[in-house]
Amino acid sequence: MFNLPTTNIGGPEVFVLEFGDIVAYFSPYTAALFVFALIFTALVIVSRPERQVDIAFGGDAYYTKEVDPNLLRFQRFMAIACGLATLGAVMTGDVFNFTLFASMVGITNIGIVAAYRNRHVLNAAFQYGIVAMLATVPLFGGAAIVLAGTGTLSMWELFGGAMAVPLIAKAFLVLGVMGEGMAPFYIAKAEITRAQGAPFILMVHVSSLLLFLRVTEIVISM
Amino acid sequence: MTPDRSIITRISATISRVENLTALYALLAIIVVVLGLVSLPFIAYHDDQLYEKTLDPASALHPYDRGGVPFGTTPVKSQYPENSPYAGYVTAYLTPFSQWLADTTHHMGTTIVAHPGGIIDEILYNTRGLDTVVETSILFVAFAIASYLFRRDS
Repeated sequence: MFNLPTTNIGGPEVFVLEFGDIVAYFSPYTAALFVFALIFTALVIVSRPERQVDIAFGGDAYYTKEVDPNLLRFQRFMAIACGLATLGAVMTGDVFNFTLFASMVGITNIGIVAAYRNRHVLNAAFQYGIVAMLATVPLFGGAAIVLAGTGTLSMWELFGGAMAVPLIAKAFLVLGVMGEGMAPFYIAKAEITRAQGAPFILMVHVSSLLLFLRVTEIVISM
Repeated sequence: MTPDRSIITRISATISRVENLTALYALLAIIVVVLGLVSLPFIAYHDDQLYEKTLDPASALHPYDRGGVPFGTTPVKSQYPENSPYAGYVTAYLTPFSQWLADTTHHMGTTIVAHPGGIIDEILYNTRGLDTVVETSILFVAFAIASYLFRRDS
């Protein structure tokens, strides 16, 4: 009975996992996103943090930034949680479930950068946190309008154009994911990447990129 | 600001400041919300709702009366009924304490706080169980961040 319409941008489904009304699935498109997120999560688990070196201008002097082990452990935990949330977001087959995973990505992204003591990084993380909080309103509002307008949340019913999803619901979803994942707003990210700890910081970028690719697929397919 | 700067230079100078990020996002949100208000008359409420909700102000349990019969079999609408073979078996979610209360007294049906029950919990625990798991995970992550930041200096 589960047959995604062929108009789906990702192609036919290759794997289906039923959680009651929430039917997660892989299309070739989301499977590619999933494998990418999986590889990066595995890299985060096994990798050691980068060690930044500052070179004093005009001399031979340099100084290394020390890596706090507690901070490192917490960041790794947050990066793995972020990876798991991204994995869930790319494979879920339900709009509300997707919004939940998206907001979890936003919170874990803040968690990755919030523990630094660098003033610039904290300033950027603060602005980012405000936007991520703000973004939950259009994010869940979009899911609510989808439910009110069509009576269902399952992507299996919504995809293919059989249901008339209001345009404003799609716009809200995209706006919410933009706020949670920060995909187009790279100002805050440029400030955030001043922080040390390369693989964990990069998880912020990877998750937001995958989240944005996924919401693009959802919005186009609906 | 020098007058000979082009409009593009000024825009890029504005949005390159991280302090303006919130205002930029708020502007985007306002634009979309205004578009939404304009398109509001064209959005119709779909009558055939999967997760329906009715409010009965006359009920003694208002607004917690979500429908369903305590200790009875309540029909639950679900998108894919074959995935939820136990939907409607509300009694299956009794906690051990609630079961003991029900076995030994006749007061179990009068409380709504001691046991999960009712149609909304049925939807959450059975047909949309993954949502419950993710919501709890979000809370857990938020607590983890807060506790780490709070205990960092001690």
